[in-house]
Amino acid sequence: MRTSRRARKENFHPLFFWLWAITLLVILLVSNSALVSLSISAGAIALVLMKPSNTYWYQSFRWSIRLAALAFTLRMAFGVIIGVPMPGRVLFTIPGITLPDLFVGIRLGGDVTSQRLISAFHEASLLVALILIFAAASALSNPHEFLRVLPRKYYGIGLATVIASSVAPQSARSIQRVRAARRLRGENSTGIASYRKVGIPVLEESLERSIDLAASLESRGYGYFPNPSRYRPHIWRLRETLALAGPIYALIFLLLLPAVSGVLLAGLLLFAVITPGLIS
Amino acid sequence: MITFSNVSLIYPNAERTIVENVSFTVNEGELLLLIGHTGAGKSSLLKLINGLIPHHTGGILTGEINVAGRSTRAIKPGELADIVGIVGQNPINGFVSDIVEDEIAFSLESLGVAPEIMRKRVEEVLDLLALAPLRRRNISELSGGEQQRVAIAAALVTNPKVLLLDEPTSALDPSAAEEVLSILHRLVHDLGLTVILAEHRLERVIGFVDRIILIHGDGTVDLGPARQILSKSPIAPPLVELAKKFELGQIPLSIREFRKFAPEISETMVQAAGKNLGDTILAINSVSASYDQDLRSKALSDVSIKVSGGEIVALMGRNGAGKTTLLKCAVGQAPLTKGEVRVKARDPKSFTDKELIRFVGYIPQDAGDLLYGQSIKQECDLADLDNGVESGRTLAIYSDLMKIPSLNSHPRDISEGQRLGLALSIILSAQPALVILDEPTRGLDYEAKKVLITNLKQITSESNRAVLISTHDVELVAEVADRVIFLADGEVIADGGSREVLKASPAFAPQVSKALPNNSWISLSDVERYLSEKN
Repeated sequence: MRTSRRARKENFHPLFFWLWAITLLVILLVSNSALVSLSISAGAIALVLMKPSNTYWYQSFRWSIRLAALAFTLRMAFGVIIGVPMPGRVLFTIPGITLPDLFVGIRLGGDVTSQRLISAFHEASLLVALILIFAAASALSNPHEFLRVLPRKYYGIGLATVIASSVAPQSARSIQRVRAARRLRGENSTGIASYRKVGIPVLEESLERSIDLAASLESRGYGYFPNPSRYRPHIWRLRETLALAGPIYALIFLLLLPAVSGVLLAGLLLFAVITPGLIS
Repeated sequence: MITFSNVSLIYPNAERTIVENVSFTVNEGELLLLIGHTGAGKSSLLKLINGLIPHHTGGILTGEINVAGRSTRAIKPGELADIVGIVGQNPINGFVSDIVEDEIAFSLESLGVAPEIMRKRVEEVLDLLALAPLRRRNISELSGGEQQRVAIAAALVTNPKVLLLDEPTSALDPSAAEEVLSILHRLVHDLGLTVILAEHRLERVIGFVDRIILIHGDGTVDLGPARQILSKSPIAPPLVELAKKFELGQIPLSIREFRKFAPEISETMVQAAGKNLGDTILAINSVSASYDQDLRSKALSDVSIKVSGGEIVALMGRNGAGKTTLLKCAVGQAPLTKGEVRVKARDPKSFTDKELIRFVGYIPQDAGDLLYGQSIKQECDLADLDNGVESGRTLAIYSDLMKIPSLNSHPRDISEGQRLGLALSIILSAQPALVILDEPTRGLDYEAKKVLITNLKQITSESNRAVLISTHDVELVAEVADRVIFLADGEVIADGGSREVLKASPAFAPQVSKALPNNSWISLSDVERYLSEKN
C-alpha cells in the first residue's frame, strides 16, 4: 500500500511530459539539424529507460521503437531511390528508369551521391526524433490521469486525445494476446503477412474499447457540468518547472547563439532531454 | 421511476426492430431482471434507459422514455449521471482511472461536487462495497470480482436512483457472483435503489429478483412477476426446468421453495456405465509457473494432473486461481519454472506450429482472437488452408455443429454462441487429440449452451480425444464433465469425479443437487434419464 502512495508522489504532473514533448518538438523544428534530432532521439530513449514501470503504456515503447526504425528505413530507401538529382561524389549506382519529360528533374534510381545520402539521413533522423518524442511522452504519462486534468470544456478534444493516447498502448498488449492466438491456429506469427492477421483483430478490439470508454465517460457526466471539482488534485510543483526548464533554456540558448559548436549543443540538449529522469 | 410509453427502436440498415411499441413502468425500489436470447436487445434496452441510445450509439427511437421525471429524448446521458448509474458488460473498458479511489471519485468530479462532500461519499461507497482495503490499488491488478465491485461503486457514488447492470456476474466465479448479488440485494432493500440487471445465468440471480422483463427478440416485451414470466418463458433456470419435469405445477424461485413444493424423491439412480478411457493425452507433472520475474508470486505451484482420452475434464476455481495458466501449459505458452508437460508423450514446446494444431486445439477466453477473416466463408477457407485439410471441411464441421448464420456475415457480427461454434469448428478440422476451452460459456444463453454441451459430448464419444474446459459455470460442469479439478491459489485442491466434487462444496453445487440433496443427481440430464427409465 505504501509503495503505491510513494509511486504516486514521484509521478510528474500528467501534462508534464506532453509539455516536454511540445518543447522538444519546437527545438527540433527550429534547429532542423540531424545532430539535434539524434541527440533528442538518444535522450528520449535514455529517459524512458531511466524510468521503468510495468504499466501497459510504458510497455508500448518498444513498439514505438520498431515504428521509428521502420520509418527510418523507409525514408532512407525512398531517399535513395526517388528524388531530384543531387551533386556530389557518386558512391554507387543503382539501375534507373528514365521518366518521361513530364516529370522533368525527378529520377528513379541512378547515381547515388554522398549529398543524397546525407540529405536522406537528415530527413529520416527528423522523422525518428518526432516519433520518439511522442512515444516517450505517451510511455511516461498515464493516459487516465491525462484525461482527468484536461479542461472539460474541450470535451471532444479531451476524448479524442485520451482514446488516441490510451488505445495505442493498450493495443500493444492486445497484440501479444492475438499473436499467441495465431500460434494456436498453427501459424508462425512472424513475417509481413502475419501483421495483417494480427492487426485486424487488434484494431477491431481497440475500436470496441474506445466506444466503451466514450460511452462510460458520457454516462458519467464527463464534460456536462460547468465546474468540475477535484478529488485529489494534481499539483504542478517546482520540480516540474525545473525539469521542464532544461529543454526551454536549451531552446533559448539555441536561438540566441546559432554559431555555437555542434557537439557542445548536442551534449547540452541530450542533458536537457533527460533532466526529468535526473530530477525524480 | 422509469416509464416507457410506446417505445420503438430500430437501428439504421437493420432488418428487425429491437423493441416495437413497448410500454411499461418500473417502480421505485424494484430489482428487475432482464432476460432474452443473445442479441435479443438486452443491452440496447439498458442503454435506452440512460439515453446512450440514441444519443451515443445511434438508432431511431420513437415514443417516450421517462426516468425520474426527465425525458431521455430531450437530455443527454451525461445530464442523467446524477440519477442513473450504468455498469457495462466489460467494466474494464469503461475505467477512466487506474487507481480504485480515483475511479470511484470520477463521476463526482464531473458533477462538480465539493471536495469535502466528495471525500465523504467516496468513503461511504468504499465501505458499502467492502473496497476500503483496495482503495489505493491499481485496478488492472484486481480480480474480476473486485473490478466488478469497483465499477458498481463508481456508478453508485453519485447516489443514483437507478442502477443498470449488464451481465454483472458473467465473468465471476460462483462465490464472487454471490457476493455482488447480495450487495445489490442489500442496496435495493436498504436504500430503495431501483436496479435493472441483464443476465444469462438465471440460476444465480433468480432468487433475488422481483419482476422479470422478457425480451422476445421480435420486438415484443413481457414484464411481469418472476413466477408468471418463467412459467411460459423459453429461458428458465435449471430449477424451473426441474419443477416442470416433475410436473409440480408451481414455479419455484429458490431451492427452499422447490423443496416445499416437491414430493419426497429419493431414488437411487442407476449409475451410468463408466466411460472407456483411452490413453493418457495430457500429463502435467509437478509444474510450477510464474509471471513474476523475481518468482515472488506463483501462478501455479507443483501442479500435477492427467487427462485421458474420452474424458471431459473441468477446471474450476476462483478468478486468478491459475486456471488459464494451467491450460496454457498444454500449448507451451505458460512461463514454467519447474516440472514437465507432455501431450501424447511429447513436450508441447517442441511442437512446430503445424504440429501443435494436430495435438491441441485451444480456444482462448475471447474466441474472437482466433478469427481474422472478413466473413464466415473466408474464415473457414483460411482454416482449411492453415490446417492442411481439403477445402470445405471446416464449413462442413461448422454446419454439423449448429445452424450456421449467413456465410457472408462478419465473424464479429454473429452471436457469441455462433462465434464459439466457428472457433470450435476451425480447431476441430485439424483433428486435435486435446480440445481446450477457456471460459466458453461467458455470454452464452441456455440454448447456445445446450448446443455446446451436445458438441462436447460428441467430440469425446471416441476414446482418442479429450476435452479440458476452464469455467465458472457450475451447471455446465454438471452436464458435461466427467471429472472436476479445483484450483486454489495455483494449487490443486480437489480432483475427482464431478458428482463427488460438486456435491461436496455448497458454493459450487448445481441447482439440481441442491434441490434434491438425497440423490446423486447433479444435472437435468440425470433427472431426464431417471424419468425415462421410470416410465
